[in-house]
Amino acid sequence: MFKKILIANRGEIACRVIKTARKMGIQTVAVYSEADRDSLHVEMADEAVCIGPAPSKESYLVMDKIVAACKKTGAEAVHPGYGFLSENEAFSKKLEEEGIVFIGPKHYSVAAMGDKIASKKLANEAKVSTIPGYNDAIDSPERAVEIAKGIGYPVMIKASAGGGGKGLRVAFNDKEAHEGFASCKTEAKNAFGDDRVFIEKYVESPRHIEIQVLGDAHGNCVYLHERECSIQRRHQKVIEEAPSPFLDEKTRKAMGEQAVALAKAVNYQSAGTVEFVVDGKTREFYFLEMNTRLQVEHPVTELITGLDLVELMIRVAAGEKLPFAQKDIKMDGWAMECRINAEDPFRGFLPSTGRLVKFVPPAEEKEGNKGVRVDTGVYEGGEISMYYDSMIAKLIVHGASRDQAIARMRDALNAFVIRGVASNIAFQAALMQHPRFVSGNFNTGLIAEEYPHGFNAADVPHDDPAMLIAVSAAMHRQYLERRATISGQMPGHEYQPGSDFVVRLEDGVDHEVMVETATDGMGWDVRYGGENYAIRTNWQFGQPLYQGTLNNEPFCMQVERRGLKYRLFHWGTQADIMVLSKRAAELQALMPKKAPPDMSKFLLSPMPGLLTHIAVAVGQEVKAGEVLAKIEAMKMENVLKAERDCVVDQLLAKAGESLSVDQPIIGFK
Amino acid sequence: MHEIIQRLDEKREKARHGGGQKRIDAQHAKGKLTARERIELLLDDGTFEEWDMFKEHRCVDFGMADNKIPSDGVVTGYGTINGRMVFIYSQDFTVFGGALSEAHAEKICKIMDKAMQVGAPVIGMNDSGGARIQEGVAALGGYAEVFQRNVLASGVIPQISLIMGPCAGGAVYSPAMTDFIFMVKDSSYMFVTGPEVVKTVTHEEVTAEELGGALTHTAKSGVADLAFDDDVEAIIMLRRFFNYLPLNNKEKAPIRPTQDPADRVDYSLDTLVPDNPNKPYDIKELIVKVVDDADFFEIMPDHAKNIVIGFARMEGQTVGIVANQPMVLAGCLDIKSSIKAARFVRFCDAFSIPIVTFVDVPGFMPGTAQEYGGIIKHGAKLLYAYAECTVPKVTLITRKAYGGAYDVMASKHLRGDVNFAWPSAEIAVMGPKGAVEIIFREEKNDPEKVAAREAEYKAKFANPFVAGARGFIDDVIQPHETRKRICRSLVMLRNKKIDNPWRKHGNIPL
Repeated sequence: MFKKILIANRGEIACRVIKTARKMGIQTVAVYSEADRDSLHVEMADEAVCIGPAPSKESYLVMDKIVAACKKTGAEAVHPGYGFLSENEAFSKKLEEEGIVFIGPKHYSVAAMGDKIASKKLANEAKVSTIPGYNDAIDSPERAVEIAKGIGYPVMIKASAGGGGKGLRVAFNDKEAHEGFASCKTEAKNAFGDDRVFIEKYVESPRHIEIQVLGDAHGNCVYLHERECSIQRRHQKVIEEAPSPFLDEKTRKAMGEQAVALAKAVNYQSAGTVEFVVDGKTREFYFLEMNTRLQVEHPVTELITGLDLVELMIRVAAGEKLPFAQKDIKMDGWAMECRINAEDPFRGFLPSTGRLVKFVPPAEEKEGNKGVRVDTGVYEGGEISMYYDSMIAKLIVHGASRDQAIARMRDALNAFVIRGVASNIAFQAALMQHPRFVSGNFNTGLIAEEYPHGFNAADVPHDDPAMLIAVSAAMHRQYLERRATISGQMPGHEYQPGSDFVVRLEDGVDHEVMVETATDGMGWDVRYGGENYAIRTNWQFGQPLYQGTLNNEPFCMQVERRGLKYRLFHWGTQADIMVLSKRAAELQALMPKKAPPDMSKFLLSPMPGLLTHIAVAVGQEVKAGEVLAKIEAMKMENVLKAERDCVVDQLLAKAGESLSVDQPIIGFK
Repeated sequence: MHEIIQRLDEKREKARHGGGQKRIDAQHAKGKLTARERIELLLDDGTFEEWDMFKEHRCVDFGMADNKIPSDGVVTGYGTINGRMVFIYSQDFTVFGGALSEAHAEKICKIMDKAMQVGAPVIGMNDSGGARIQEGVAALGGYAEVFQRNVLASGVIPQISLIMGPCAGGAVYSPAMTDFIFMVKDSSYMFVTGPEVVKTVTHEEVTAEELGGALTHTAKSGVADLAFDDDVEAIIMLRRFFNYLPLNNKEKAPIRPTQDPADRVDYSLDTLVPDNPNKPYDIKELIVKVVDDADFFEIMPDHAKNIVIGFARMEGQTVGIVANQPMVLAGCLDIKSSIKAARFVRFCDAFSIPIVTFVDVPGFMPGTAQEYGGIIKHGAKLLYAYAECTVPKVTLITRKAYGGAYDVMASKHLRGDVNFAWPSAEIAVMGPKGAVEIIFREEKNDPEKVAAREAEYKAKFANPFVAGARGFIDDVIQPHETRKRICRSLVMLRNKKIDNPWRKHGNIPL
């Protein structure tokens, strides 16, 4: 076994690999860019080597620097994680030349599968069912249209070297095929330096289901069942689960066996994933591509099989034999993963950067069936930089059944505290209670179909408003009781907190409640609408997590006090609630309802980032849809367009300026 | 006897209706509460003791003899806020537009005199059209009587003004002399001369809101401390604010017990100060993470944002927080921020509230605008305030403490009781670049030498140890233990007693 390995990655996956290596008694070397100096993976590793400036092109993607770091530290092997150099044939070849072991498949397997066109041919030869399509690189848009017609619309135009949703277009007609081809080619060239593009049949109502395979150097190869990854937003996976609620035993076995056949065809010696698109009606499945690396969503497979995939990758790389055969692979319970991203779902999922003022993930639990696992590479007080992707944590749960896993995920999302940067937790919570998701009857279009105009707070009404009313009333009473403890009160004239209140929800509707301190002194009893809500909590003022029991059922909410309002976060709902005495509520009702200030005459920065370009000048007339400015954040260029016809009145920011969220950029007349 | 009681009831009923239902409805239509509704909301239920309900004006000119309404446009008395005594007056816009008459002023003076005698704060709710013109000089005299009492009460009892309607002309000077001014957005304004006069004299066209609205005074002028959306928010937030203040200058501020452990550590503070000395961070994160229950009541949040002031509690005890804000103008001191902080420091000193100062200051703001504006005298106000102040002073330097601004920000030399520094502290006359340009002027054309000198200077001064070696810093502490160390210092200082030499009063550079 290796004595020391280097992890050529950052963030949660680097931390994840370090944990397993440590468990195996292997020393670890982290590499980091200048932006990651204070990162968790650097802290966790036994040694760390700085490999250059923040942009990954100058650090994490530079092979020579990784090799040099290995030599400097004496690392015998490299785990590449996912992304960066994980599927780079040249990299694994280079390591081999230098006598360093690549913890992953052999370079020839990477090469064979790295090219989507070549891999499809290989799959055909291995009798793996593939999607109808044209498997050679296409040279012109005219030819692309011709081929698309031959296959029959809709078709998918994909970059040969693409992945992660980049370089991918769907065309429903000749015009879209023509345009899609051109833009796909440009994007592929920019993103991957390889502009080859191919076309295939687009499956409607498709599900994205993938098979985890694992091979060794001794000719053994097994499949570790499937992962359902159909919940995607713009081709980026959002929620993954194992098993799939859609597969039957027969399909599972057929897919597994084909995946193994393919892996064997390329002498695959590591963990890999064979992606299929599955027809949501017929259960016909087609090979999409093989990912020759550890996947982001591998933990769900680990939780149902009880295996540690990173450990197995390391062992296989060290020449060990797989310690089990296909028949030994378990499939226990249900696992689910939510990707927690630093992005603001209420602002079109724009990336959010900055300091993690608060970061408290839910407690991990491993006993019995109560699995909660958090894979993360960040910590409270850490920085989310604009240089890398926006995923900051993976929240993974395990339950005996799918329903139990969902319930557990909802609880875990309630308890996940992130402040300082925006997160998609509210969106994840909304998906977790969406009837289509809960039913298991969905396809990759779920998010696009259910949230066609983005995600709004109004999309997540609370299942049980009485719960919000009871908690805010109890919390208010707690504040008043605290107030009553203040010193210097006149004896005999002390402040009495009162027990009758009016809870005013955001819709302006009032709810009368009565709150009393529980006789056991551990909580509050809220009477509302003829029911009693017994809240027992040890919440302390200023804490974001308000947890305890409500009528003996455990619950957890996040709370903030903002002026007269309490802001509650629960099950994806964000509610601003006022609790007032009856008289104060009467008087408050007399107050004018003030509209928020009119910012429609300004272009506001939708996210923090770098203003790279202003495309207009003062006095210029702009038509709706015209480009106004460009902002770079999280590696992505964001183009801001005019929403309506307007005239530029003033420029309020300069190109090259760092913008904060909602900072005005342009004023209009 | 029965008849008298009946008359009493009638009189009370009349007084309670102020200017009548029509005017009350008009007041509500403007989004404003009536004088009595405001009092009801401000005081603990049923604790209001009203005085001078039957007081009437004595004016006989311009038909006023027959136009009398009991209370005469202001409701006065006392009651409790969270069980603690307070005197209040609330001007009634429904009665003669809340205009101040001689009698009206007498009512205010009466409760102020009593408040001084018993040592309880005064809260004034202002909603008045100005002086009662029919009374002429009698009304003006009334104002001055109030002003005189504002001044005598200053530093003896806390005085708070809520501006909830118009407050113009001479009327502004009473709130101006109180300790804190809160305003209500869109329904209150304060100015010495109104928009019409402004237009006649200076030809400027400006609305009342722009000239003297809540946003103008809380952001631009700094006249007012806080702006609220409406009367209800202003009053309920004032109840919270009141809990931080002592009743008078002989008592200590109230204690509110907390369960927040004094020795709570917060490791996220270890990464608060960025490696890059030019990168800003939010000092409010430090404040919120260090004080009890994350409760920080910020004052003047929109004015001179380069300095943050407000009240919080440490182990239940009220403290005044003063902190440079690196997010705005790099946290430098300028005219506005010096005045803002100086006045706050003097309030805390007058009312025995310990001051916790967080320092990250690159110096005073340079430039003609500042010099012509008199930064020398205005900066000196803050220096004077800190130097004169005898309450417990705990200071923490988080990063930069450069030049004269280092001295000003509650340094050891200004009788700072406990002066801490984080390891990231840099205490020096100026930053490395500027220092090298001056000390090694002859080498300025040799970039290599300059870089070497800068590194040398940095190694020598960009740390807390030079100041520590001289005892200007009592200890270098880890950021995560900040709360614990400040709490301990404040406990140690609880019975601190020092006196300034006797004098009639000092001569602060006004």
